[in-house]
Amino acid sequence: MSAVPQLLVSTILLGGIYALIAVGLTLIFGIMRVVNFAHGEFLMLGMYLAFWSFTLWGLDPYFILVVAIPVFFAIGLGVYALVMRGVIHASHNVQIFTTVGLSTALQNVALVLWTGDFRFVRPWESSVIIRISGAATNLSQVIAFSVACLFTFALFAFMKWTHAGRVMRATAQDGEAATLMGINTDRVYRLAFAIGIACVGVAGVLVSPLYSVYPTAGLQFVLLAYVVVVLGGLGDMVGALLGALIVAAIEVIGSYVFGSAWKEVIYFVLFIAVLIFRPAGIFGQRGAEALGV
Amino acid sequence: MRRRHVALSAVIAVIALTFVSLPFVRSTEGQALQGEYKIGLLEPLTGPLAFEGKRHLDGYEVMRDLINAQGGVMGKKLVFVVGDATDPTAAASEANRLITREGVKIITGTYSSTLCGAASEAASRQNVIYWESSCVDPRFNKRGLKNVFRTEIDATGFGWYNVEFIAKHLAPRFNLQPNQIKVAFLAEDSSYGQGVTEAARLRAKNDFGMQEVALEYYAFASTNDFSPIIAKFKQLNPDVVHHIARSSDAVLFWRQSKEQNFQFKALVHAGATGYGSIDFGKALGADGNGPFVLAEPGPGLRLESFRPEARKLEQDFSEAIKKRTGDEPLASHRLAGSGLWLLKLVLDQSKTDELEKFRASVLALDMPVGSMLNGWGVKFAENGQNSNERVQHYMLQWQQGRMMTVWPEEFTTGRAKWIPLGAWDQRK
Amino acid sequence: MRRHALALVVFGAAALVPLVIRDGFFLDSLVLILMWGAVSGAWNVAGGYAGQVSLGHSAFFGIGAYSAALMATRWNASPWLGMLAGVVLAMGAGLVIGYLSNRLKGPYFALATIAFSQVLLIVASRWRGFTAGSEGVPVPFRPGLWTLGFASKVSWVYLVLCLALVVYLVQVYLEHSRIGYQLAGVREDEDAAQALGIPSRRLKVMAVAASAALTSICGTLWAQYVGFVDPFYVFSVDLSIRFALNAIIGGIGTAMGPFIGSILITSLETFLRTAFSDIRGGLVGIYLIIYGCLLIVVVRLIPQGLVGWFGQRFRAMRRYARA
Repeated sequence: MSAVPQLLVSTILLGGIYALIAVGLTLIFGIMRVVNFAHGEFLMLGMYLAFWSFTLWGLDPYFILVVAIPVFFAIGLGVYALVMRGVIHASHNVQIFTTVGLSTALQNVALVLWTGDFRFVRPWESSVIIRISGAATNLSQVIAFSVACLFTFALFAFMKWTHAGRVMRATAQDGEAATLMGINTDRVYRLAFAIGIACVGVAGVLVSPLYSVYPTAGLQFVLLAYVVVVLGGLGDMVGALLGALIVAAIEVIGSYVFGSAWKEVIYFVLFIAVLIFRPAGIFGQRGAEALGV
Repeated sequence: MRRRHVALSAVIAVIALTFVSLPFVRSTEGQALQGEYKIGLLEPLTGPLAFEGKRHLDGYEVMRDLINAQGGVMGKKLVFVVGDATDPTAAASEANRLITREGVKIITGTYSSTLCGAASEAASRQNVIYWESSCVDPRFNKRGLKNVFRTEIDATGFGWYNVEFIAKHLAPRFNLQPNQIKVAFLAEDSSYGQGVTEAARLRAKNDFGMQEVALEYYAFASTNDFSPIIAKFKQLNPDVVHHIARSSDAVLFWRQSKEQNFQFKALVHAGATGYGSIDFGKALGADGNGPFVLAEPGPGLRLESFRPEARKLEQDFSEAIKKRTGDEPLASHRLAGSGLWLLKLVLDQSKTDELEKFRASVLALDMPVGSMLNGWGVKFAENGQNSNERVQHYMLQWQQGRMMTVWPEEFTTGRAKWIPLGAWDQRK
Repeated sequence: MRRHALALVVFGAAALVPLVIRDGFFLDSLVLILMWGAVSGAWNVAGGYAGQVSLGHSAFFGIGAYSAALMATRWNASPWLGMLAGVVLAMGAGLVIGYLSNRLKGPYFALATIAFSQVLLIVASRWRGFTAGSEGVPVPFRPGLWTLGFASKVSWVYLVLCLALVVYLVQVYLEHSRIGYQLAGVREDEDAAQALGIPSRRLKVMAVAASAALTSICGTLWAQYVGFVDPFYVFSVDLSIRFALNAIIGGIGTAMGPFIGSILITSLETFLRTAFSDIRGGLVGIYLIIYGCLLIVVVRLIPQGLVGWFGQRFRAMRRYARA
C-alpha cells in the first residue's frame, strides 16, 4: 500500500497540468464554439519561448511566465484578427480546417526555424526533490500545479464576478440575444480567444521543464485537452479542473492496475461514453450539445 | 452559350495545368553527367523522425565526400539525389520518383522500419537495388526479395546482444546465475521498442531462463509520468530494468526513479534513441551516470584493436563529422557511414549495378570483425542480411555526462562501473 | 450529359494519359490522385451528402488496409477476400459511428470520431498476437489479378480509375435519387425532415455505413499499392484530415468536388515536396507551411469549394448571358 501516496500525489500534480492546458481551450471552445485544432501548437510555442529564453539569456522559466502572458495575449489578438474572426460564423468544417491549416503551418515553422531536435529546459527547480508523506516529486511540478490552480481560479473569478466575464458568459449562452442586448460579440470573442491563447502559452512555459520541447509536442496534449474539456463541460472553468483530475486519475490508476499500454484506451472509451450519455460533460448543462452547437 | 463554354474551358484549363505541372517536377537530365554515379537517398526530413533523418543524411554526405576523396565509386564521383520520406505513402512515392525521374539504380536510406518496408517494396517492383543501412524490422529480409540488402542487424540482434551482456557480463558481477536474474521489461510501443523487447524477452527466457517480473509498454509521446509504473516496479523488485526508450522518456524515467528512490542493479537499453541520445547526457549530466546502452562505439574505443585501414576510416570519419556538426559521431551518423562504405566496397568489386553481378559481389564479401568503421566485419547471408556475428555491437555506459564504450572488453579502454548500481547519490 | 461534363473530362483524361505518357513517376502521382480522390469521395458520402463531418475516417481506411494485409499474410487468402472482410468490419464500425451521429452534433461528433480512430490505433499497435503490433504488416507482393499484385503502374491507374468511377457514381446516385433528396433534407434541417416523416436516424446510419464500406475498399487498394501497413499511419488523424480536406476544398456535397480537391492538393503536395527535397534538411518543411497557409486561405475564401464556386460562376454567367 505504500504506492498510494505516490499515486495520489502524481494524480493531483498531473491533473493540475492538464487543467492548465485545458482551461484555455474550454474558454475558446465554450464561448466561441470553435474547435481549435491549433491549440497544441500554441503550447509548443510557449515551450520554445521558455527554451530559448533559458538557453540564450539564462532566464528562469518562471520569470518568463510574466513575459509570456502579454506576449501570448498579443499573439491571440493577432491570430484572431487574421484567422479566427472570419470563421466564427462559418460552418464547422471551415472552422476545423482553418485551425488545422494553422496547426500544420505552425508546426512546420517551428521545424524549419529550430529543427526537429528534442530540447530540454533544466532550471534549478527541476532538481529540487520534494517529499510529501512517502511520495516524491520535484519543485517544477509543484510550481506548475500551483500556477495552474491560480490561473483556473483567477479565470473563474473573472468569469463570475467581473462585468467582462458576465458579458462573455452571456455571449456563450446565446450570441444573438447578446447582440440584441448591445454586446459587441466580436470584441467578446476576441478577448476570449486572446485570454485562451495566453493561458495555453503560459502552460507551455510552465511545462517546459517537465517534458521535452520539439515541434510536434503540441499533438500529444491536444487530444487530451479535448477529453478534459468535454468531461468538464464547455466553458466551465472549475469543470476543466475537475475533468483534468479525473483524466489524470484514470491515467495514473489505469497505468498502475492495467499497465500503461491500455490507459489511453480507457480514457478514450470514457470520452466516447461521456459523449454518448452525458455529452454536456459531467458538470455541464444537460442538452447543451444538442442545441446546435 | 459561348460564355458557358468559356467558363467550362477555364475550369478544364486550370485542372489540366495542375495536372500537367507534375512532369515538370525538377529532375536532372535523365542519367548523371559523365564521371558521376548517382544513387537515390531516402530519409524522413520532415515529420516526427526528422531530427534523426537529418543525422542520417549528414552521415551519408560526410562518407560520400570521404569516398570521393579516395576516387569515388567504380571510378566515378558519387552523387546523391535526395527524397523526403515523411510517411509510408511518401516513401513509396519518392522511391518511384527517384527511380523513374532520376533514373537511379540503387536506393539507400531510410532510417525507420515503417518507411523501409514501403520504400523497398516500391524498389523491388522496378528491380532496383535497395540498400538499407538502418531500419531494424526483423521481417525486412524475410520477404524473399532478391534486391533488398541490409547492412545493420535487425531488432532481434539488439535484443540478442542485450541479453548476452546481462547474462555474461552483469550476472557474474551480481553474484547471480543468469536464471536467478529478475528482469523488468519496459519499452516505448513503436515498432522499434516492440521489436527489440520481444527479441530480448525470448532469448532471456529460452536461452538463460531469466525471470521476467514485468512487461510494460507505453506511448512515449504521451507519457509524462512514470510514477505508477515505478511504484509497481518497486514492489516487484527487479534486478535489471530492460528499458527501450525513445527520447525524453529516458530522462523522465531516470529522474523519477531517482526521485522515488527506485533501486535496481542495472538498466540496459539498445539503440541511438532515448538513453543512447546525447540529449540524455545534456539533460542530466552526472546525474545520468549508470545506464548501459547498446550502440555504435564512441569514446573509449580501442582503435588499436581494429585493422589499420579501419582505424584510418574511423579517424577520418570522426573528424569530418566533428567539423560538420561540432560533436562526436552519433549512431545515426555511423550507421549511414558504414552502410555507404559497404556499398562502395560492393560496387568496386562488381563494377556494375546490374542485379545479378551486384548480388554475387555482396555475397562474396567476407571480412572479419575489426575491418571497418565501427569495427564491423561483413558477411551477408542469402537473404541479404549482414550477420549478427560480424556486425559488432558495443555496450556503452553513461559516465560523467559521456557515453563511454565499455564492452566487449577486448575492443575497449573504458570499463563498466557501478555494477551493481548503488544508492542514487553514490555514483560518482 | 452536360452535368457530367466535368467528370467526363477528368476521368477521360485520366484514362487516356497512360496511353500517352509512360513516365513512372507521373503515373504514380496519377494513381495517388485518383486514390485519395476516391477516399475523399467516400468521405463525402457521409460528410457532404449526409452532413456528418467525421474526422475519424482513417478508422475505416485502416480496417480495409489491415484486412487485406492480414488475410494475405496469415491465411494466404486473396486480397479481394480481405477487401470483403474489410467492408463487413468497416460497416460494423460504421454502424457504431452512425449511432454516435444520432446522439452528437458538429464538433462533438467530430471529436468522437477522432477518439474512435485512436482507439483502433492503440488496439492495432498493441495486439501483437494478431496484428504484429507497432511493427506493422508488410503486404506480400504476388503478381496476378486474384492476388491484386500489379507491378505495372498502368494497371494500377486503370484499377484505381474504376474505383474512382464507382465512388463518383455512388455520389451521383445520391444527388438524384429519392434517398439522396431525403438525405439532403436531413442534412439541411433535420427537425424539418423528421417532421416530414423522413426516417432521418436510419438514413444517417446508412450513409455512414456506406461511406465506411467505400473507405475500407480504398484502404485495401492502398495497402496493395504501397505494400506496408503501419498502424500509426493508417489510423492517423492526419489521414482523416486529408480525406475531409480534399472534399472540402474541391466542393463538399458535390460528386466531383473530392476529385478536384485531390488533384489540387496531391499535385501541389507532390510538387512542393519534390521541388524542395534537394535543399538541406530543415528547409524541406517549408512546403508544409505553404500547404497550411493555403488551406486557411482557400477554406476562408471559397468555403463551398472549387466546384461549388465555379458552379456559381456558371449560373451567374448564364443569367448574364440571358439578360
